[in-house]
Amino acid sequence: MSMMEAMGMIRCEDALAHLWEFLDGALGPEEEGAVKKHLEICDRCYPQYDFQRAYFEYTRRIRNRDETPPRLRRRLFETLLREGANGDGE
Amino acid sequence: MAWAMLSGSTHDDVQPGRDRERPTERAGDEPELSKEGFSEEAIPWLDAVYRFALRLTEGDRDAAEDVAQETFLRAHRSWHQYRRGTNVKSWLFTICRNQYLHEAQRARSRRERPAADLDARVEALSAASAFERASPRPDREVFEGLIDDEVIAAIDALPQEFREVLALSDLGDLEYAEIGSVLGIPLGTVKSRLFRARRLLQDRLREYAVRSGYISGDER
Repeated sequence: MSMMEAMGMIRCEDALAHLWEFLDGALGPEEEGAVKKHLEICDRCYPQYDFQRAYFEYTRRIRNRDETPPRLRRRLFETLLREGANGDGE
Repeated sequence: MAWAMLSGSTHDDVQPGRDRERPTERAGDEPELSKEGFSEEAIPWLDAVYRFALRLTEGDRDAAEDVAQETFLRAHRSWHQYRRGTNVKSWLFTICRNQYLHEAQRARSRRERPAADLDARVEALSAASAFERASPRPDREVFEGLIDDEVIAAIDALPQEFREVLALSDLGDLEYAEIGSVLGIPLGTVKSRLFRARRLLQDRLREYAVRSGYISGDER
């Protein structure tokens, strides 16, 4: 029995296997709590968590870099208004 | 000993989940469209749909504009089929992807590979990932020196199966079930494909960071 198991914790391989789902907020309360508890005390798994968290911070930063070009917005509204006026598409 | 503490926390910043994307607020000067609810529910996702189209088209802005425009025209024409209050974002992303596939198939029908081959190709690409063979030391410094355009280029260079799942999740901020709905695949496939896509991207970013001198080669 590993020390983690002796302490009533899940093993490193189980924590890492669920790391993505933990970060995606996709685990149930029980599993989520177990992974969280493990990461809080495990110096081996925490760097993996921290790395993936940095990845999400990065993708969140670049996520909104492109806005809809004004010409597309204008073109789209013109067409939608025209279709609406003609009663198209119903 | 990997874990030094037998009592209390050593890492008190561990939190599950991540922030979710909100739709763009409507500009005050936008005209009200005649179909009830379309302006309030669908239009705020225009930026998100355009960004998804950009990744689907590998950064081709003209093509992405066409795909995004056609997405909203189709959504507008089918608005009576949409059940108000259900997941409009997934609905729009599904239309967007279908529109892209329709356009892409027309453009490259000769090069199109059979769908049955998809999983085998995904497996092969994952297996080829050096990230899976080696066990690199995870270091958040990888992300600190990266240039956004290079990262976007790395995402756009991923095979479509990986690019679209990554665009839906990490850039589009959809949840697993929503991604499954857009791509028409089961939850388990969403997870495995997404996790492999992330590994593949991170592997390429790490290689890029080493090549550019942001981190040393012994990080791996």
